[in-house]
Amino acid sequence: MRSQYARRVQVLTGAMLLIALAIIVQLTRIQNSPEAAVFRQQAENYAYEWKTFYPNRGEIYDRNGRLLAGQKTVYEIGVDLTTVRDPHAIAFAVSRELGLNYDNLMNVIQNPPEGLSYLVLADFVDAQKALNLQELKRALQEQASSGTLGGLTGLQFKAHPQRSYPENALASNILGFVNREGKGYFGIEENYDNLLAGNPVSVLIPTDPNKAYEIPRVPDGTTMILTINRDLQAAAENILDKALLEYGAQDGTIVIMNPQNGELLAIAVSRRMDLNNFWNYGTIYHNATEFNPAISKTYEPGSVLKILTMAAALDTNTVTPATTYLDTGSVLIGGVTIQNWDRNPWGVQNMLGCMQHSLNVCMVNLATQMGANNFYTYMDAFGLGHLTGVDLAGESAGRLKVPGDSDWYPVDLGTNSFGQGVAVTPIQMMAAVSAVANDGRMVTPHSLFAMVRDGRQYNVPAQFAGTPISEQTAKTLTEMLAVSLEAESSLALVPGYRIAGKTGTAQIPVNGFYDGSQTNASFIGWGPIDDPQFMIYVWLERPTSSPWGSETAAPVFSEMAQKTVILLDIPPDFIRQQIASQ
Amino acid sequence: MNIPNINFIHAYRVAPWRVQRQWIGNALLLVVVLALVAGLYLNVTSRTAIAGREIQDLMSAIAISQQTSSDLHTQLASLTSASAMEQRARLLGFRPVTSEDLQYLVVPGYVAPEPVNLSSNALPQLSALTIPPEYNQSLLDWLDDRIASRRAQ
Repeated sequence: MRSQYARRVQVLTGAMLLIALAIIVQLTRIQNSPEAAVFRQQAENYAYEWKTFYPNRGEIYDRNGRLLAGQKTVYEIGVDLTTVRDPHAIAFAVSRELGLNYDNLMNVIQNPPEGLSYLVLADFVDAQKALNLQELKRALQEQASSGTLGGLTGLQFKAHPQRSYPENALASNILGFVNREGKGYFGIEENYDNLLAGNPVSVLIPTDPNKAYEIPRVPDGTTMILTINRDLQAAAENILDKALLEYGAQDGTIVIMNPQNGELLAIAVSRRMDLNNFWNYGTIYHNATEFNPAISKTYEPGSVLKILTMAAALDTNTVTPATTYLDTGSVLIGGVTIQNWDRNPWGVQNMLGCMQHSLNVCMVNLATQMGANNFYTYMDAFGLGHLTGVDLAGESAGRLKVPGDSDWYPVDLGTNSFGQGVAVTPIQMMAAVSAVANDGRMVTPHSLFAMVRDGRQYNVPAQFAGTPISEQTAKTLTEMLAVSLEAESSLALVPGYRIAGKTGTAQIPVNGFYDGSQTNASFIGWGPIDDPQFMIYVWLERPTSSPWGSETAAPVFSEMAQKTVILLDIPPDFIRQQIASQ
Repeated sequence: MNIPNINFIHAYRVAPWRVQRQWIGNALLLVVVLALVAGLYLNVTSRTAIAGREIQDLMSAIAISQQTSSDLHTQLASLTSASAMEQRARLLGFRPVTSEDLQYLVVPGYVAPEPVNLSSNALPQLSALTIPPEYNQSLLDWLDDRIASRRAQ
């Protein structure tokens, strides 16, 4: 009996061993079969996935740490089609909260594109609206009887950042904007797009949650600190808006720069856009140059360019301030008669009177005496016809015709000397005239003060664009311009501060001829002249109350300068002299 | 004298029930060892899975915190924007200052404010530069590695 049991056990054991052996053999065979290699490959394909981590876009601050561009949270609202319980409820709630069409929503939820399990209903939804929907979803879930799902089951919310501009339209022409794909357009956003956007990091992430993986460190985009002073920018925009109304000008620009280092403190333009609604771009601007005319729009500057002609004449020793000439009211050059702005003769004048009365005949004489070669060499050194290198996207180079160009005629030497027949941008004029304000050294205008990356701030040093004139010439001309303004009791004067400057009134060429009824009125000035802290350029396009720069742009300059000295804490001259004497 | 004892010991040693017990004991030992290894493996993998999930949760929490911080920062900037502050100042009865309102005093030692400095201490390293394989390999991965390295040799 016992041996019988033993025999059975042995047989059973043998059978089980055989089965176990067969299983092992089969396992080994499957593991090493060609099909196994295919499956292994498929498993490896799904074992890891590439995931890209996008850094937060860098913020933009003004020089005093005021946020000009940051991030806000918005939501993508979608439906998980596999868990939707009540499409009607979802379509109704979403259409009501977001103002979308109910029928369209119902249609896409009930007839989704083939193969989709998740459908985006709306993106970039305001946080408050998304919160309202989330609360409604929660409330419906709570009201649902136990064990059942709420009406908005399947509605999903995904938060993500979006560029936000807390100052809305303020300095919009400087900042530019970022579209929904994260690309920067215009201004700082375009010029420093790569730095602001940062570097996305792509890493292979195991899909198996049991496997730990390295967390990539994705540094945020570089934060920018601008040279712009927010309060000064706001004041410039207010003053410009008032000036446009007061003088009936079509458009206008005010640029404020530190002439000693090229830091742009404010750039106000008349057409501004709420950057949070950048899709209105097409309705506000007709072409790209209107976004920031201060750097993009070229025009004939008129008499403000006489500063450069006089600088060249003084620097080449063609004249001194005391040099006199007989002004007959007109002069012939290249077969064309050039007249003064009032078409009158001014008799014997020295160079001070020449600048004070803004005499075209005088300028033509100076250009002729120094010669075309000298004149254009200086204009080239002042940067006319060249980009200034300002760090804002969309700068135009302007145009300076020179002898040898197919469209240059001898008369151009005469007209160019008083600012006609030459196309410049306001920022070019600022850069060129900075040489006069800054002891002969011309600055490169810039709007970036510093960059912050990984917690460290890197300040941007001032850059200089050459020394077109000597220090002595610069000081002499500055004094001449200051005395000119004081002698004619210019509306540009600033009580308590000595300033230097020059008006400009330029006729506008229309279809090849100058339109006598429309002008570009401008004024460029700087102060205090012994230690220049600001240079202001005012440009009013087609003012209707008066065509003259002395009656429109000059008082705007004065108002802007008075505001500037307050906001920049620049004491009047006698206080500074007191401090210096102590 | 000793012959009976020798026979008894030999008989004890070769007793069938004793051989069976030895086999059973060995088999049980093997089962216990396997159970220990399996338990250890289960313990390690479950802890790894929990840690992985915690890391993902923490990463998500960091992202949400950063987003919230940016959001609040921007909201604060909106509330203190130039237009908002001017409006509030006017409501409180203030008006823009003019040059006639100002009186300048010489204050010895006064230093004019400098532009902002947003430098901060360098951010802490949020992740190890490399994770040694011991921390992300399963037992089978390790075995695979060893076999592969042996084959390579």
